[in-house]
Amino acid sequence: MILLRRYGTLLALALIVLVFTIASPQAFGSTPNLINITQQMALLAIVAIGATLVMVLGEFDLSVSAVVSWAGIAAAALFAAGVAVPVVMIVVLVSAVAMGAISGFLVARFKVPSFIATLAFGTVIGGLTFWVSNGATMFSGIPAGFRDLGRGTLMGVPVPTLWLIGTAIVFWLLLDQTEFGRRLYAIGGNREAARLVGLPVRRDMVVAFALCAALAGLAGLLLTARLGSAHPTGGGGYLLQAYAAVFLGMTAFREGEPSVPGTLVGAAIIAVVSNGLTILGVPSFLQDLLTGAIILAAVLVRNFGRDGD
Amino acid sequence: MTSESFLALGGLVKHFGATKALDHADLALRAGSVHALVGENGAGKSTLIKTLSGLYQPDAGTIRLDGTEVTIDGPRAAEALGFRFIHQELNLVPHFDAVGNAWIGRRHPRRGPFIDRRAMRAKVADVAARIAPDLPLDKPAARLTPGQRQMAEIVRALMDPCRLVVMDEPTSSLSEGEAERLHAIVRQLSAEGCAVLFISHRLDEVIDLCDSYTVLRNGRTVGAGRVADTSRAGLVAMMSGGAGASTSTLQDTRSPHPEEAFAESRLEGRTDDVQQDHSNATALRPSRRPSGPPQDVEGGPLFGQSKGRGDKPVLATDIAFGPGDSRFIVSVRAGEIVGLYGLVGSGRSSLLKTIWGATPGRGLIAINGQVPRQGPAGRIAAGVAYVPEDRRREGLANLLSIESNLSLAHLSDFRAVASLPAPSRSKIRNFAGATGARLRLVAGGLDHSPATLSGGNQQKLLFGRWLGRPMRVLLVDEPTRGVDVGAKAEIHGEMRRIADDGAAILMATSDIEELLALSTRVLVLHAGRLVAEFDGPSLTRAAVVAAAFGHAPDEPMPPSERSA
Repeated sequence: MILLRRYGTLLALALIVLVFTIASPQAFGSTPNLINITQQMALLAIVAIGATLVMVLGEFDLSVSAVVSWAGIAAAALFAAGVAVPVVMIVVLVSAVAMGAISGFLVARFKVPSFIATLAFGTVIGGLTFWVSNGATMFSGIPAGFRDLGRGTLMGVPVPTLWLIGTAIVFWLLLDQTEFGRRLYAIGGNREAARLVGLPVRRDMVVAFALCAALAGLAGLLLTARLGSAHPTGGGGYLLQAYAAVFLGMTAFREGEPSVPGTLVGAAIIAVVSNGLTILGVPSFLQDLLTGAIILAAVLVRNFGRDGD
Repeated sequence: MTSESFLALGGLVKHFGATKALDHADLALRAGSVHALVGENGAGKSTLIKTLSGLYQPDAGTIRLDGTEVTIDGPRAAEALGFRFIHQELNLVPHFDAVGNAWIGRRHPRRGPFIDRRAMRAKVADVAARIAPDLPLDKPAARLTPGQRQMAEIVRALMDPCRLVVMDEPTSSLSEGEAERLHAIVRQLSAEGCAVLFISHRLDEVIDLCDSYTVLRNGRTVGAGRVADTSRAGLVAMMSGGAGASTSTLQDTRSPHPEEAFAESRLEGRTDDVQQDHSNATALRPSRRPSGPPQDVEGGPLFGQSKGRGDKPVLATDIAFGPGDSRFIVSVRAGEIVGLYGLVGSGRSSLLKTIWGATPGRGLIAINGQVPRQGPAGRIAAGVAYVPEDRRREGLANLLSIESNLSLAHLSDFRAVASLPAPSRSKIRNFAGATGARLRLVAGGLDHSPATLSGGNQQKLLFGRWLGRPMRVLLVDEPTRGVDVGAKAEIHGEMRRIADDGAAILMATSDIEELLALSTRVLVLHAGRLVAEFDGPSLTRAAVVAAAFGHAPDEPMPPSERSA
């Protein structure tokens, strides 16, 4: 039971991969498909890693999908105005950071529950995105050089996968190997204790929200690069899946705390299930049903184990 | 004493809105001394400490360290001066182990780009070896016992050289043995030259452990000196402003409307509990101070009448509890106060929760010979009441008003129309007013949040919610933890009154003085098992403590032990 609780999610991932490999050895189990899965999960995982930072604090950022959409539309609009690629990327990322910082400030300084603050602020961002885009898909003037940041391969590895690897390493180091990361866990574990030992609680919270939004912004840029277009609700699907990945990941390691490796496992489960079921020709409503059931099962296994304490 | 003191606080004033939390408070500490800071709840102790730790800035007054005036503008600054704080609510990150907790907010050792966890552990192990060699370093704080958590906090405090450790009620959640352990550490710190500012409501502990003291009342320093030159009674007199020196507000108002009584008591301030107690000469008043010598208990006038009244037990249990197949078999008669003693972790709280029906259990429980329905609701219907251990977490709903909290447990008693599940505000208000008056609750208003009350008044609220309806059994877990002397006496008086009214009381406490002062009979738990029962002449402090520590008592074993 302890083993199942500690590594249940990893075992589940292995089991799911095994089942699909047996069911469809040629199509699912092939190396190209497995590499393809890493590409499919890349953007989701990047958003989810950002959400992990905020979850470590014990907070939520519900504006991530709005920031993804905003970043795509903002980039497309700037490209349409003829702005150079590096400038566009910097401006978009800075705007995302600013949005995250505002959310974080509302939560840390004014003690607005993060659920409400980010839901409301995400709606504001959504409105802004519609305003800039006039509600339409934008695809004119996106340069090929930018598009290559989100497609193709480098030494056989898909470019989005490389982004994911880089992000995962940087943020794993940040959360696990820096004092900032330890502080975030301390704040999430006992905010009052953190305050009493003089940790910069507010500042750290603002930074965590800003970094979360920055990753959502990065995902938005990569999405636009991959598609060659931007839609004002392009990021809509990431919100629930990202948090599902974090929750699945929380059941994977440690004392049930959010962590970057855990989130990667969570994102992988979601991507593998979706990919495998698609290959097996399972209708999409059944896919949703199964994904939801897996998440519930993971959380139940964890809580069941806890009761036994 | 000022000549030798390294730290001197002079004339500290701190306002919160209209209230003066500190009103010219002074404190002087000698290096390496163990100094007691005593006063009732609301006397300003917490504010004083928070000022020292940089969380509050004083409105006036000075803090001098080694003769130089210093400003402490935050926890970091306090730490840099060598001050360490162990707050009343233990402040550990639950999923960090002792090592992780000790390093929070410090510069972590590194090996290359990575945090050097081995070096972190080595440093903590070093400190722990000195004061708490048996502290498990790799267990998350959530799974440590309260005593171990305290040790982890102390280890954290001693990671760097320090000059002053402030401990706020450090023993309130510790068992006797763990408290002894803490005392030894305090003495060691003092011997190493680190001063300890020790805040405690347990005056025996203060007299035993500390060499000097400061007494605060209403934010003002009203006494200071060497503990050797005073006594328990002297401290109490200073804390309460002199026995019999004042008249009781609530008693004198003679107001038929409790609301007005509240208004009066508010004018008097919230630290008057003891004064009211001193001047209240009615039968409600406990006949002795709670600290009265234990041998007096059996012959006490109140218990002479009430002990063993009624032959049939009101509460009878035969439930599976503890390790293996051991059982907890006990019966409590009307008017009895049965004390439940044991070290922390011996199972007192979970036993009460099981009897209360909040934790599922196996076995039989009978109230007045009837088996109650499942769960707390079934118990309430059968006339059982429960006062939980942790008033903030398990007791009070801070979002609701005081009156709503009072009515919460039996809302259906307050229906405007018996058949409609809609409570009547005026009924609730009347009940709250009457209950507040009976308990002498000191509150700004009944519609305020219970969070605005002092600890003692919050505790009274937990008792009050069960009054005004037939109470057959009262289960109490730590009746007066962290409560000042005055409120403690009032709560003890209330418990005796409840027993006199015919209820059977089962009371778990880790305060042995309270146990001996209130109980007619004492059950001792050790490692989840009922190991001894004392009453009459066999009920002595030494016997109870010995049994709690698992030393074989001379008493006959209770049935649960035989069956196991």
